[in-house]
Amino acid sequence: MALFEAKNLRKRFGARVVLENISLSVEEGSVHGIMGPNGAGKTTCFHVLTGHHAPDGGTITFDGQDITGKKPYQIARMGISRSFQIMNLFDDTVVIENVILALPEFRDSGLNPVKDVFGNKALVDKALSVLDQVGLSHRAWEKAEALPYGERRALEIAVALAPEPRIVFLDEPTSGLGTEATQALAKLIQELRSRYTIVLIEHDMRFLFQLADRISVIHWGQVVTENTPAKLQENKWVARSALGEVA
Amino acid sequence: MIQLIPHIINGLTLGLLFALIALGFTLIVGVMEVINLAHGAMFALGAYFAMTTIGGGWFAGTEFGTWWLSLPIGVRYAVGVVVGPLLAACAGMVLELCLRPTYGKAPLYGLLLTFGAGLVIEELIRHYWGTGEQSLTVPQSINGAFFMAGLIFSKYKFFAAAFAIVAIFGVWAFLEKTPYGAIIKAGAHDSEMVRALGYDLAKLRLLIFGFGAALAALAGIAMAPIWGLRPHLGIDVIIPAFLIIVIGGVGSFWGAVIAAVLVGLAVGITGAYAPAWSMLSMYLLLIAIVGFRSRGLMGRKSALEN
Amino acid sequence: MSDAKMITLSDIPAKGGSPLTLAMGVFLAALATAPWWLPAVGLYQYLGIEVAIWLIFALGFNLLFGYIGLHSFGHGAYLGVGAYAFGLFQQEVAVSLWGGLVAAIAASLVAGALVASFISHRRGIYYALMTIAFGQIFWFCAIKLHSITGGEDGLLGIPRPDLNLGPISVSLADNTSLYWFVAVVLGLVALGLWRLANAPLGRVCQAIRQNEMRASFVGYNVWWIKWIAFTASAGIAGLAGGLFAMAQESAYPDVMALHQSGLIVMMVLVGGGLVSFWGPILGVILYFVARDVIGGITETWLLWFGLMFVIMVMVRPEGLAGVIHVIRTRIGMAPAARATHTKEA
Repeated sequence: MALFEAKNLRKRFGARVVLENISLSVEEGSVHGIMGPNGAGKTTCFHVLTGHHAPDGGTITFDGQDITGKKPYQIARMGISRSFQIMNLFDDTVVIENVILALPEFRDSGLNPVKDVFGNKALVDKALSVLDQVGLSHRAWEKAEALPYGERRALEIAVALAPEPRIVFLDEPTSGLGTEATQALAKLIQELRSRYTIVLIEHDMRFLFQLADRISVIHWGQVVTENTPAKLQENKWVARSALGEVA
Repeated sequence: MIQLIPHIINGLTLGLLFALIALGFTLIVGVMEVINLAHGAMFALGAYFAMTTIGGGWFAGTEFGTWWLSLPIGVRYAVGVVVGPLLAACAGMVLELCLRPTYGKAPLYGLLLTFGAGLVIEELIRHYWGTGEQSLTVPQSINGAFFMAGLIFSKYKFFAAAFAIVAIFGVWAFLEKTPYGAIIKAGAHDSEMVRALGYDLAKLRLLIFGFGAALAALAGIAMAPIWGLRPHLGIDVIIPAFLIIVIGGVGSFWGAVIAAVLVGLAVGITGAYAPAWSMLSMYLLLIAIVGFRSRGLMGRKSALEN
Repeated sequence: MSDAKMITLSDIPAKGGSPLTLAMGVFLAALATAPWWLPAVGLYQYLGIEVAIWLIFALGFNLLFGYIGLHSFGHGAYLGVGAYAFGLFQQEVAVSLWGGLVAAIAASLVAGALVASFISHRRGIYYALMTIAFGQIFWFCAIKLHSITGGEDGLLGIPRPDLNLGPISVSLADNTSLYWFVAVVLGLVALGLWRLANAPLGRVCQAIRQNEMRASFVGYNVWWIKWIAFTASAGIAGLAGGLFAMAQESAYPDVMALHQSGLIVMMVLVGGGLVSFWGPILGVILYFVARDVIGGITETWLLWFGLMFVIMVMVRPEGLAGVIHVIRTRIGMAPAARATHTKEA
């Protein structure tokens, strides 16, 4: 059975139907890509899958449990994690605290009113090892806001990885990155795929085709087609509309 | 039931005047995303300026002062209605200049600065005009009362309501029918657009603050004969204005007008049954409406929510 | 923009460990010696009580205002609720210090919890607006519920009950002994809040201030934490209110008015509550010094305090603590928290 499954999701804002009928199925250990033109409803789809918006119809199941309509914090605590296209960090504080805040060990004792935060060596070491995964450990004690753009993107991913999630949703991680940084990110995701199940929204088709096991193409709020990258490349429509833009 | 009519008329008048206060407020919020807590102080300042103008206090004892006081009250009142808002507009523009360092920071700072400015203006009023209750003289023709269907009505309230209606439609026409209005509305949605159109945003902001303050002053002059003049008038009036904006939806013209009339009616009708509690009704109205519609009756999404 | 970027509370990272820092030492020492130096600098004992009570209020308020970034403009209401609860307990139930204080805290906790339930899903200006509306309702009720609250005059002749600690009983009727009691309460509140602010809960509160959305996506129940912060800060306001009723020997609606709620915001901001734990303390002291010192020279002292506030928001909204932080950075004396951590790591 699939680790994460969405069936017939519908979402509308007022009179505007954004998601018409979305079904997705993500196998454990795979990288699942989501692509589609601008305004196709990709980000809304992520928002619904991770609990930011409740769907108007349809069901979402994770590991056999129905999580439809659950709050983001409940979903996060089940081991579903996400990054954001538009940067969403704790900007006033240091890089390492961004990660510490996302560690389950910290979170579960998070309301303890007397415990120490930075004095806790285990927490700090754990956070440093997460930062190491994305190559940011040398920046640990700098203010998040002061990082250059590419490193902020990396921190965005580190915060998503910190809770050791069972599934990670990455919303356009390459957005705004140059070619070199994009390649570095591709390498990072290649390393991560052995440990996490990943769902990836991406604009950059080459990036997506090189990483994903399966890809769902979303258009007009519907899944138009879903297949492996190799099969999709044979699909004339996809080749013309999406890959054509990149090439 | 018929006894309720004067209360409904009271409520409507109050509501229309509230609308006038709220319009300047919502204009500033809508265009500049500044919650101007000194708006109430502008309201009070306008009324005090008009009072001193009508009473000739600026030049008491001089020859000009004597000549001025010999003019008919109607003329002096009309001049006061013009001079009060003009002076308040100047104060508003000074306030805008002070606000400039807060642009680009969280909306909290604009709110705090204007709160402080309101306090300063209130203290200045106390210093210059004294702490006591004063009154604004109005011409005989709109003063007094008349009887109709066995009920007593105040003439002035009808005048104030008409005054407010004219002013509201004037503002509406200005915003909808003139090129200036179009620029202001463009600024409300997109300050980049204003710049792209080649207008000076700094000047636009200055004018909007002046205009907003003038509207507040106009409302103050119309309200003063009903409420009386006291230094903390500003605080008394900013709260209803605030609630109206929230109920009506931040930045919405007709939202503010409808909300103001609703609040006025709520206060007026509660006044008929439980006079002591009449002002409480508007808070309950706020909680009831905003509890269900988070952006008020006609509000759009605004940066102020962050 | 990055140059003009403001300093925040999170800029000075928590050092962890013990709250016995230099600042805390200076603060506690000042508290412990006030009865001797207050008259020496020409002030009077009662001022010490008043300042200490407002410090309790301000510290609790800053938990909400500075740490979690929720801007309440109606916080005077909870101080007032505490004051009335204390007074009513003395007059209707029994003359008891502990009973009165428990009643004050409990009443304001209930009031705060109720309001928090209505507003905790909001933020920004709408949050501020709702706190104003609720604050005004409490104020209005205090004036109009004449038979309970005594209307505009308030409750008069509230006794100062004796302090009973087991077999020991101390009268708090004179201002010096009341000062000692209030100072001990303040010291405990300051130590507790300092620890709280730098412990996980305090850090999570700050995370919510910085990015509510991210906080919920890393697994925090943001609504609940906002609810807790508001309720707790209302409870501390209630404690301050109980002490205030005892100090004033009365409780009246004035403290619940918008003006007073605005003043506490001004004090906290001027002092630098957004930048430092100690900000509210500087702000409250500055306010009372302005009131008593400038007030001694001119009746328009509030005008000058207001002007100072306006200028402060214009040039340095981080407040007094922000100014101090900037000076310390310039002369290279800023707290070296980051450096020590790098070594540890």
